[in-house]
Amino acid sequence: MNMTETRETAAQPPETEKEILLDIQNLKTYYPIKGGFLKRTIGNVKAVDDINIQIKKGETMGLVGESGCGKSTTGRTILRLLTPTEGKILFDGKDITKIKGNALRKARQDFQMVFQDPYASLNPTQSVGDIISEPIRNYRRVSKKELKPEILELLGRVGLPAEAYDKYAHEFSGGQRQRIGIARALALKPKLIVADEPVSALDVSVQSQVLNLLKELQDEFDLTYLFIAHDLSVVKHMSDRIGVMYLGNMVEVADNKSLYAEPLHPYTQALISAIPEADPKKRKERIVLQGDVPSPANPPSGCPFHTRCPMAKAECAEIKPALKEVKPGHHVACILY
Amino acid sequence: MVNVTADSNKSQEKTINMSPWAIARRKFLRNKLAMISSFFLLTVIIISFLAPFITTADISKVNIMQMTLEPSGDHWLGTDKSGRDVFTRLLYGGRVSLLVGMACTALVVLFGTIVGSIAGFYGGIVDSALMRFTDFVLNFPFLVFVIVLSAIFRGYVDGLTILIVVISLLSWGGVARIVRSKILAEKENEYILASVSIGCKPSKVIIKHLLPNVLSTIIVQSTILFAGLIVAESGLSYLGFGVPQTIPSWGNMLSASQESDVLANKPWIWMPPAIILTITILSINFIGEGLKDAFNPKSNR
Repeated sequence: MNMTETRETAAQPPETEKEILLDIQNLKTYYPIKGGFLKRTIGNVKAVDDINIQIKKGETMGLVGESGCGKSTTGRTILRLLTPTEGKILFDGKDITKIKGNALRKARQDFQMVFQDPYASLNPTQSVGDIISEPIRNYRRVSKKELKPEILELLGRVGLPAEAYDKYAHEFSGGQRQRIGIARALALKPKLIVADEPVSALDVSVQSQVLNLLKELQDEFDLTYLFIAHDLSVVKHMSDRIGVMYLGNMVEVADNKSLYAEPLHPYTQALISAIPEADPKKRKERIVLQGDVPSPANPPSGCPFHTRCPMAKAECAEIKPALKEVKPGHHVACILY
Repeated sequence: MVNVTADSNKSQEKTINMSPWAIARRKFLRNKLAMISSFFLLTVIIISFLAPFITTADISKVNIMQMTLEPSGDHWLGTDKSGRDVFTRLLYGGRVSLLVGMACTALVVLFGTIVGSIAGFYGGIVDSALMRFTDFVLNFPFLVFVIVLSAIFRGYVDGLTILIVVISLLSWGGVARIVRSKILAEKENEYILASVSIGCKPSKVIIKHLLPNVLSTIIVQSTILFAGLIVAESGLSYLGFGVPQTIPSWGNMLSASQESDVLANKPWIWMPPAIILTITILSINFIGEGLKDAFNPKSNR
């Protein structure tokens, strides 16, 4: 398949002296649809359908796409909160695709998640101190008291006052809660953090604070991010490289600059044309996509995007284009290139 | 008006830095009906369990000289057909009835919670198997089963123990179903996913993250269950299949009213257990209601 070729080239660009931290190969995550009298599997929702991602140490990889395109599923599968149907996840050289139980629990120390909903992602019966010290106490035998200085330092680092230690999550605002969630993810000093739409539930004014905090922490703790969002301007602010997903497929991967300057895939072009412009005098052509996203349970034949693509040709319905490098570091899955 | 808003402001301020439990406790303490009920129940419990220190009359000794006496200075609530002091038997009976109720509730809640939470958390085949088993147990005809089992074991094991075990074994199904449904809803929250991702073992996820968040339901359920199980004990004892006749319980005392002469002409023999039973059950239910309100974040009573 074309995929292997893509992978090799992706590993070679000039600035790739850095090690690859996360290597995802042909990842597929399907949700079975059960039906009928005996609850047999009668179909699959192909939430993630054959994607490849490589993330280098210290890099931020952005992942964008519409709601329901499989971004979150991808993130959760990478963290093994879901079990992939097929494919391989190599984290720091180790294959974590199939590990289970205690081995998986041990491996989790190195990759953590920041969740989307700051209200639902914190246990309402735990105090903030408990929430943040819990990950550490899952792996180390230490008393809460011994840990307290460490936790207070973390609280300070994410911009929360020391008094927060004894409070409960319901006493904080959305942005502060998200800081608690970030502190919890940081507590284990992980190598990778998957941030699943960490600011989409927040006020715009608070969004940038949280984003800047994430950026500062990245330098300080040497973090690698997989940053999932549906807001292109947020991703642009955060990411070194960006992957665009559509219906469980990766349609375009490029570094930040070239993706915005020169989007190649018709879907990416449509997405980027939808970013609001601050300057009202600047007119630009907005590409409005027709129709709805097809059901991932019954994806279209050929290119998944051909049903809505303004540039679709007859053969698009037959050939499913593979992701290939058309310019250095710029990969696109479209037969036009 | 001004006062009211000031007061609610004050209560708002006070909830700061309080755990959800502390908030619930405050709400409960303000609920008059529930507080009166708790006070009453506590009194009944304390007096019952202190019975040996309160009266010295013998509960089992038959006294032919003092049969069916009306209430008097010597016998505050009169004597029954065997000449035993009704007041004394009421106290000792309360001890047994409450003990059976508490023991059964504890066992039922423990077993129901274990089954329900495992079924709800793991889902899939584990869930199906456990819930079909629960349905199976719930389908046993309660009365017939208790009668048969207590008939089989009578004489081998202590009658009271059998009663407690048999009632508990047949009653946990409801709790298991409720806990399962609550856990199913609760585990969809992202904090459960978060607890997995920070490395909690499944047992820890259930015990530390899921159960505290469904505990309010379990507590409310167990108060209602407590009332129901006291009634179950009394009903069985009334029919003669519950607590052995030699041990006084409220149900056993009530069974005297099976005789129409006692029912019609000697109310002091059966009225006291009936009244105390009714009020106890009522107050337990009021407490249950109070707890339900206290745990409900939307209620502002």
